[in-house]
Amino acid sequence: MNEITGRHIVKAYNEELDKINQLVVELGELGLDQLRRAVQTLKDEDIKQAGLVIDRDRELNNIDVKAAEEIIRLIAKRQPVARDLRDILTVQKVITDLERVGDEARKIANLTIHFYDNGKTPPGNEILRDIYDMAEFVDGMLSMSLQAFTELDLTTAVDVIKLADRLDEEFRSALRRLSTFIMEDSRSVGQVVDIVLALRALERIGGHGKNIGGHVIFLVTGKDVRHEDLKVINAEVASLV
Amino acid sequence: MEEIVNQNGAVTEQLDAATDAEIDMRLVRENHRSETVGEMTVDDPRMICRNVDVYYGDKQAIFNVSLDIGKNQVIAMIGPSGCGKSTFLRCLNRMNDTIDICRVTGVIKMDNQDIYDSRLDVVSLRASVGMVFQKPNPFPKSIFDNVAYGPRIHGLSDSDTHLNEIIERSLHKAGLWDEVKDRLDQPGTGLSGGQQQRLCIARAIAVSPEVILMDEPCSALDPIATAKIEELIDELRENYTIAIVTHSMQQAARVSQRTAYFHLGKLIEVGETDQIFTAPRHKLTEDYITGRFG
Repeated sequence: MNEITGRHIVKAYNEELDKINQLVVELGELGLDQLRRAVQTLKDEDIKQAGLVIDRDRELNNIDVKAAEEIIRLIAKRQPVARDLRDILTVQKVITDLERVGDEARKIANLTIHFYDNGKTPPGNEILRDIYDMAEFVDGMLSMSLQAFTELDLTTAVDVIKLADRLDEEFRSALRRLSTFIMEDSRSVGQVVDIVLALRALERIGGHGKNIGGHVIFLVTGKDVRHEDLKVINAEVASLV
Repeated sequence: MEEIVNQNGAVTEQLDAATDAEIDMRLVRENHRSETVGEMTVDDPRMICRNVDVYYGDKQAIFNVSLDIGKNQVIAMIGPSGCGKSTFLRCLNRMNDTIDICRVTGVIKMDNQDIYDSRLDVVSLRASVGMVFQKPNPFPKSIFDNVAYGPRIHGLSDSDTHLNEIIERSLHKAGLWDEVKDRLDQPGTGLSGGQQQRLCIARAIAVSPEVILMDEPCSALDPIATAKIEELIDELRENYTIAIVTHSMQQAARVSQRTAYFHLGKLIEVGETDQIFTAPRHKLTEDYITGRFG
């Protein structure tokens, strides 16, 4: 229970809000774990583990469905307003983002199977390097966004949003580097395209982290900053922190 | 002393000497002292309340409330029991005058006229600022006579035909005409609760008020009757200014454009209803509307 969910006269309401917030935490941990495991399967060339990552995506989908049911019930029963309403809307949006994190992690696990199943020639470590660097970067973003959500921490939420610009730069620079592989050896086109798709999946995970940062700012301040530039967001948050 | 020219071209002394500028100055001073969060003024006010204090004997019930009631708007007044919202509402048509120990200070103006001026005719004020109460209170008379009562005592009709027109128009506006047109001679007390409340609204409308005050008008009604009253409030807004006291947060959110939150006799926060129910600025408002109060 935190300052958002707690202190209702009707204690069951606290519990219901706690429950949906707990689902976010659970889904966040699972999503982060899926990302880490998926990237590890690539490093370990482990198609069996990759299959497990893919199967496990169902658990994330189940939490998504469960949260939607709880939210519908809560709205019908409690007619939430103010911060309760913002909390519920935020949970709904964060859950959607995290479920998609799971989908992106599954794509990376699929890539492991694609590369290392059926005795194909796998790509070398040099060409895979960008995936590992980018995975580490978005892992940090996602972790920060989940921390911002659980601690209602505006500063961390803004920091995640700031990192999205760097993520964009990292993605572009990886594309430039990968294009040199094609220039050197046009036969690597297929592998490079696969890796670009994986990078795109990772970039989307970072994007979901950024979205969550925006949702946290809405939850705490009531201001929708998703489409504002960083200056406006900073000013908005600075007036409150 | 400010003077105004009435419709006949005659110069009349305005009942209250306070000019808008003076009221604004009071507001400026008030802003320094008031704890109210939000915009208490509106561009197009029907009523202006400044620094209103209300006492019951020695006990102060309302503390320094300043608030505009906007034209053709519904303002909802919310707050826990005993917060002073009904007391404040009753200041707007001097219903508190009926309580001997009640004393009201400050300025309350309607269309730039101080409604607490001793020379003001309270009966005509209460025709201009009508009231609907929590419990429907039709007179023990026919439906027709209930609505005809006001126009008759205020001499608003010059013939039976005219009176009939007023009755029909008022019942139409109150959304009751189709249900009662064939039994106007039957007792008003024989109607259902929701119909009785709409009859009371028709009775208030019949004397052509500018403002309608509603003190928990739906608390004795079932959800269907409540929905009908809420729909009616929305329609009435086109022609009247409405101030409603309600214990139902959802009702305040549904029917009003502005919401004022009262707590222990003070106006804590006032603002656009959308803002109050999505992102209130004062913690007390938030705690109350989210059910954390206590």
